[in-house]
Amino acid sequence: MRALLALTVFGGGVAHATLAPTLRVAGVTPDLPLIVVVLLALRRGPEFGCVAGFAAGLLQDAAGGGLLGVQALTKALVGFGIGAVGRRFTATHPLVQVPGLVVLTVVEALARFALLKLFHFPASLGELMAWVVLPQALYNGFLGAALVLALSWVESARARSA
Amino acid sequence: MRIRKFGLLLALVGVCLLLLTLQSRGYGARASDFVAVVTTPLQAGYARVTRGALAVWTTYLDWKNVRAENRRLRAEIQRLRVDALRVGETDEENRRLRHLLALQERLPLETLSGEVIAREWGGWVRALTVNRGRGDQVVRMTAVISPHGLVGRIVDVRPGSAIVQVLTDPASTVGAHVVRTRTPGIVEGEPRGTIRFKYLARDGAGIQIGDVLVTSGQGGLFPRGIPVGRVRAIDDRGSALFHYAVLEAAVDFGRVDEVLLVTGQPRQDLTAYFPNGG
Repeated sequence: MRALLALTVFGGGVAHATLAPTLRVAGVTPDLPLIVVVLLALRRGPEFGCVAGFAAGLLQDAAGGGLLGVQALTKALVGFGIGAVGRRFTATHPLVQVPGLVVLTVVEALARFALLKLFHFPASLGELMAWVVLPQALYNGFLGAALVLALSWVESARARSA
Repeated sequence: MRIRKFGLLLALVGVCLLLLTLQSRGYGARASDFVAVVTTPLQAGYARVTRGALAVWTTYLDWKNVRAENRRLRAEIQRLRVDALRVGETDEENRRLRHLLALQERLPLETLSGEVIAREWGGWVRALTVNRGRGDQVVRMTAVISPHGLVGRIVDVRPGSAIVQVLTDPASTVGAHVVRTRTPGIVEGEPRGTIRFKYLARDGAGIQIGDVLVTSGQGGLFPRGIPVGRVRAIDDRGSALFHYAVLEAAVDFGRVDEVLLVTGQPRQDLTAYFPNGG
């Protein structure tokens, strides 16, 4: 369980560092660790989501050289929250996944912005939303939905072969 | 269970807030150091894996590009080979046609150029089909020549084509003589695809290997002086009335693609118009 968590988070981090630049579209990169955290939280529940979010966020904080704990906190909260309430929704449908991931990305960004504002973060929310958060949220939504579809296809293929 | 769940959340939030507080109070370095203890090995591994993954990805992309390029270059090589063959073929055809045209222009007789469109090489019959026929006023027994020498005669005329019996046909006979000794005789085709010169033993004592034979012009069918072949071997039959010389044909019948049909009635010797003697 712990090894799986570590592997998944580490894998998400690696994927973020390796794949995200490759997946850049018009200067927008997806937040792969957030997608991984959300997928984990939906499948494994709030505790798993919380720890995964914390670890992934801390890795991102450390890698980015910014304030340690900001993304660790926001992603831990997102992981916990989605793990706690996610099972009440039909999260397997793209019509839920895409807007869900968009909303989660925006919520995580707002939380991060609020935290950073405490430390005198200079950028304005409007610009940040227009140029960074919303494009990334849309991208996360579609990429996450595609990942969920791919995973469910793999699982059904495995079930058929078994 | 519920308490554990929220306890974990609170603990992690607490760690984060502690980290942030430490950093805001100037203990950022210590907080970073603390986190670095955990994250640096992870980051190192992370970087290693990233580099490895990137290298694998780049190698894969390179391989894919190289494969695509390889495929494209192979296709291009094939195309260029075909082009080169086509150019070579055109070049060769051009050379042959020039040769033929030069012969047609220098010969003092009327000729009609024709292209070989089929070959009958079975052994019983050795013939070529040319793309000149009744519509071109071609008639039977028309002599057919190439820049190297005599090819044969027309034996059948059709609306758009004509059949040429080549010298190697077993039924082919052509009156000829040796240029050097003037020894007369008959050049006959053989079933094995060669030709031989049949001559009276008393006339052919001086024939040597390498002697050139040309048409004699007797009978009025073939113009006089068209190269037929060279003596390759002499078949001395002792006291027999006729002796034979094995000939090497002046024309490579298997490769001839363009010919001239002699439509005029020449009277003069054409030997001088075939400078190499076939």
